[in-house]
Amino acid sequence: MPDLAFLAFLIADGALAGSIYALVALAFVVVYKASRMMNFAVGEWTMLGARTTAMASHTLGLGLAGAIGVGSVAMVGLALFFNRVVLRPLISRSLLSLIMLTIGVGMVMRAAATVVFAGIPARVASPFPIEPFVVAGLPVSLDKIAAAAIAAACIAALSWFFHGSRTGLALRAMASDQQVALAVGIDLHRHFAITWGLVGVLSVLAGTLWGFVSGGGFGIELLGFKVFPIVILGGLDSLPGTIIAAFAVGILESVLAGYLDPIVGGGFSHVASYVMLIATLFVRPWGLFGRPDVERV
Amino acid sequence: MPPSAKALLEVQELHVSYGRIRALQGVSLAVPEGSVVALIGANGAGKSTLLRTISGIVRPRRGTVRFLGEDLVGLPVHQIVRRRVVHVPEGRGMLARMTVLENLRIGGFARRDGAGKARELERVFALFPVLQQRRGQLAGSLSGGEQQMLAIGRAMMAGPRLLMLDEPSLGLAPLIVREIFRIIPRLTAEGTAVLLVEQNARMALQCAAYAYVLQTGQVVLSGPAADLLANPEVQRAYLGAGAPS
Repeated sequence: MPDLAFLAFLIADGALAGSIYALVALAFVVVYKASRMMNFAVGEWTMLGARTTAMASHTLGLGLAGAIGVGSVAMVGLALFFNRVVLRPLISRSLLSLIMLTIGVGMVMRAAATVVFAGIPARVASPFPIEPFVVAGLPVSLDKIAAAAIAAACIAALSWFFHGSRTGLALRAMASDQQVALAVGIDLHRHFAITWGLVGVLSVLAGTLWGFVSGGGFGIELLGFKVFPIVILGGLDSLPGTIIAAFAVGILESVLAGYLDPIVGGGFSHVASYVMLIATLFVRPWGLFGRPDVERV
Repeated sequence: MPPSAKALLEVQELHVSYGRIRALQGVSLAVPEGSVVALIGANGAGKSTLLRTISGIVRPRRGTVRFLGEDLVGLPVHQIVRRRVVHVPEGRGMLARMTVLENLRIGGFARRDGAGKARELERVFALFPVLQQRRGQLAGSLSGGEQQMLAIGRAMMAGPRLLMLDEPSLGLAPLIVREIFRIIPRLTAEGTAVLLVEQNARMALQCAAYAYVLQTGQVVLSGPAADLLANPEVQRAYLGAGAPS
């Protein structure tokens, strides 16, 4: 393979992975923006979304759209239940204990998944032809292209939702100042619930798409570990920042895997995003796209 | 006794505690429809607590807050805003990273009538032309006076029957304070009653019809604002009379 074409292939492949990272990262950021709560179990939520959808597909015999529909209903239900029954009574507690709680819930999810989904395939079969087609001597898999296209459409829809809709405006106001949001008549609990509903839908979409591209072998809950460098690089509460950071991390990993892994023996690509994260924190502690908090007094 | 006009808001025997600190101890007051009522008093007298209780942020231990005859105590904040009781908190509460126009639009969040909101936006721009000029700018980049105008404009977007202003003069230059106070009569002319909390007692009494003096959580004095302005006790304690200024 010619050098430049190889690089182009790596970048494209990384961008495809990045589009799915972006979905998972957005599930994290949406909740963080509204409530300052960090969900350290986004990986587990994504895993659960993937497996619920896979169960709907394999046991109910549904097609892809039907399975995603059923999976979304189930995951939104679970997310709303979690928000209402677990989080809401604890809302005035310290943020740290809530964060610990999400980690605990993540562990419960992993354990429960092995029991509940025992014997059921972990992913939905991709509806796209398996044979990659070849562009300029490089293999391009239709799975990945389709996954990236769907992810991009979701990202666009979410951006519109935040900047073009009334609910999005309210969520941004909450992200900016909860007291003000309260004073203008925004029902905070209702909007916390909306963000968790989004987590439910995003977990299904990201999990299912990840199943298409990863072939199912990869421990999907590890996606959570990819997300932390992304959201911090993205500035924690910036949607465009998160999306850009997701693509950057995806591409960085892919390029390093292509060039360095053969030399250093594989696996370096997985820590690359953390190296990038640490380097960034030294220079810009508020992330690449976040803004330092400056207040006019 | 409060003025005899029909009361829009009637607070009775309100008791509020923060833990063991008793912030309000049996406060009663009334705001008649379309009038300006001032609430003056020293720091920590309980003025902000009273506004926070009326708007539902703080729950009282005892007492009632009747608005058009309905008790608001126990209602969630957003329900109270929907009844058009709107609070401009101390410190202006800018959504700093959102534009001026977005701040105004969020002010109308609690109402559903698009036409009413559009009319209200025109009113706000007519009252504060500077906000129209800067509608695309981030709210955090405005000057203090402009932010206060935006805070009031945002509250107007909710179409308030009762507007509660907490220290609108805080940290602003005298010239700008005067500009902001100038719009209060224009609000009442259009049917909005104003409950005004101020440390700048002279300014507040000059613009109000009726006033209450709050001291350590109790109403110690009330009457027509003009009477309080002439009251030697009030002059000594709150208007700086006799002190070199």
